[in-house]
Amino acid sequence: VNVAASQELPLARTRSTQWAVPLAAACALLLVAATAEIVLDGAVGHSILIPKQPQIAGWLSGIGERLGYRVFLIALIAFTAGYAGLVALARVVSKRWAIALIVVLHAFVFVGPILLSTDVFSYIAYARMGVQHGLNPYTHGPIAISHDPIYHYVGTDWKKVATAYGPLYTLISYPFGLLGVTGALWGMKVLAMIASAGTLALTWRCARLRGRDPVAATLIVAANPLYVIYALGGAHNDLLMMSMMMGAVALTFAGRDAPAAALVVAGALVKATVAALLPFMLLARRSAGQVLGALGALALGALVAYAVFGSDGVNIVAALNRDAAFVSTDSFPTEIAHLLGKPGVFPIDHDLLKAGLIVIVVHLLWRTWRGYDWVAASGWALLAISVTSTWLLAWYILWPLPLAVIARDRRLLVATLAIQALFIVHQMTPLLVPVG
Amino acid sequence: MSDAPNSPANALERRLERLPESLRPREREARGSGRLSRVETIVLLAVGLLLAIATVNDVVLDTHVNHRLNADLRTWRAYTGHHYKNVATEQDVIHYTTTDVVCGNTTPGPPKQRIQLCLQMTGPVVHGYRAARGGWYLPPRAEDLHRYRYGCFGPPKAQGRCP
Repeated sequence: VNVAASQELPLARTRSTQWAVPLAAACALLLVAATAEIVLDGAVGHSILIPKQPQIAGWLSGIGERLGYRVFLIALIAFTAGYAGLVALARVVSKRWAIALIVVLHAFVFVGPILLSTDVFSYIAYARMGVQHGLNPYTHGPIAISHDPIYHYVGTDWKKVATAYGPLYTLISYPFGLLGVTGALWGMKVLAMIASAGTLALTWRCARLRGRDPVAATLIVAANPLYVIYALGGAHNDLLMMSMMMGAVALTFAGRDAPAAALVVAGALVKATVAALLPFMLLARRSAGQVLGALGALALGALVAYAVFGSDGVNIVAALNRDAAFVSTDSFPTEIAHLLGKPGVFPIDHDLLKAGLIVIVVHLLWRTWRGYDWVAASGWALLAISVTSTWLLAWYILWPLPLAVIARDRRLLVATLAIQALFIVHQMTPLLVPVG
Repeated sequence: MSDAPNSPANALERRLERLPESLRPREREARGSGRLSRVETIVLLAVGLLLAIATVNDVVLDTHVNHRLNADLRTWRAYTGHHYKNVATEQDVIHYTTTDVVCGNTTPGPPKQRIQLCLQMTGPVVHGYRAARGGWYLPPRAEDLHRYRYGCFGPPKAQGRCP
């Protein structure tokens, strides 16, 4: 009996693998098809989902039809279904095919138009304000350059708003301000691709160092619908922040504490959220090198920011407080307010959410002090920030994902993917009852 | 891989070792932490359930709103006899009532480029339509702001919705 059982087991495994490989290939094809549909329809031109932009993907415009909610949401559902299948079957995907899929998805998005967000035009506007018009983007909104060609593309809500991004990001974006609007747009797309490649390569490395399957870990990040369609599609600077975050994690794994802490600070000078990693890293490692690295990077960053942008460039907290007061319809606090019969969130709710976030972070800090995985704790903190934020955008719930795939606590990955699934479900109303 | 913490040879580590065991930092979680982990999992499941219910509730609410807005558009087109595609619907985001205002051109042309007729829609959706309770006009290229309105009729006239 034992001999028969031992012979049956590999046979059953082979059979399941035989099914799994074509199934994984079908899921991958579904991802590529959904991406192609969105990109080709988006290339036709401005719609409710495609912001006004220079015709960078005009050569693709003859193939699809103008992108509407219905087609987009069906493609998003198809992508998500393919992704779910791929996550379940990730173990059977070879390294070569995983890389090929990631390259194809990136290439499709790269050649296409900017999807779903006007943020990249704000990045370019701030850069042009600094290098073309001699204006400080920390004291003026894009309305100060209303005569500039980029102004036409900036989102209505952001025309009067000064930049909330860190001074390092603003300095990185300045050279793009010299390239003209179309050149800057391509520059931002290239930057997003490089940042994404960095994030994925570092996720691969960290997964291997932690004994995880690097192919599965990288696929879970790179084939994620919010990552491909929203973050890459919009060329968001969150990708740059995430690459620095994963760089810091990889450096910590390599025992290089000072550069790791310095890189977290540098990441926070791109987008402040990543600073959430620092206390967990410090508590887990308790090394003087980390403190020195963080302080050194902070001092250097503050000095450069003050020299270039004055005191407004250093006061990132003020910009964060301003943005924390914004409310989006997709945020979970807004949904809970509706569930409780309220029309939306009120100032008292902001205070309650901040208090809740503090309780969560203190609990995570205590857990880290007592031996809990600091990578998981950092991921939970980032997830808690996005869930308690009244201003939630798709790419915010990507922040914890690269940490979740390498964390020692698998609940983080399940929770992150569940929150992303709820976000996608919340987008479905126009598919159920279209207005028109 | 050197994910492992530093050796406890430095002064800080020696000081930390003087702390009571329950306060001392640990390199690995203690065995008893499984219970805490279970409590966390229960809290996470409860929060997840709350968020799932809130999300589904929001989708249902939004579908009801879209259903109402469709009835508004259908009513405007039925009243005016104009089957224009670009008709704007505004919800009451100040008092959160279900009274909506629907504005559209009175003659063919690009959106908001002709004199616009705004109708105030109230009440439930009946057979795909709502009740139009009066309205006002707007000049071309004007947003629906109090100062631009004229020719109020029906309840909006009595309510002083025109200057």
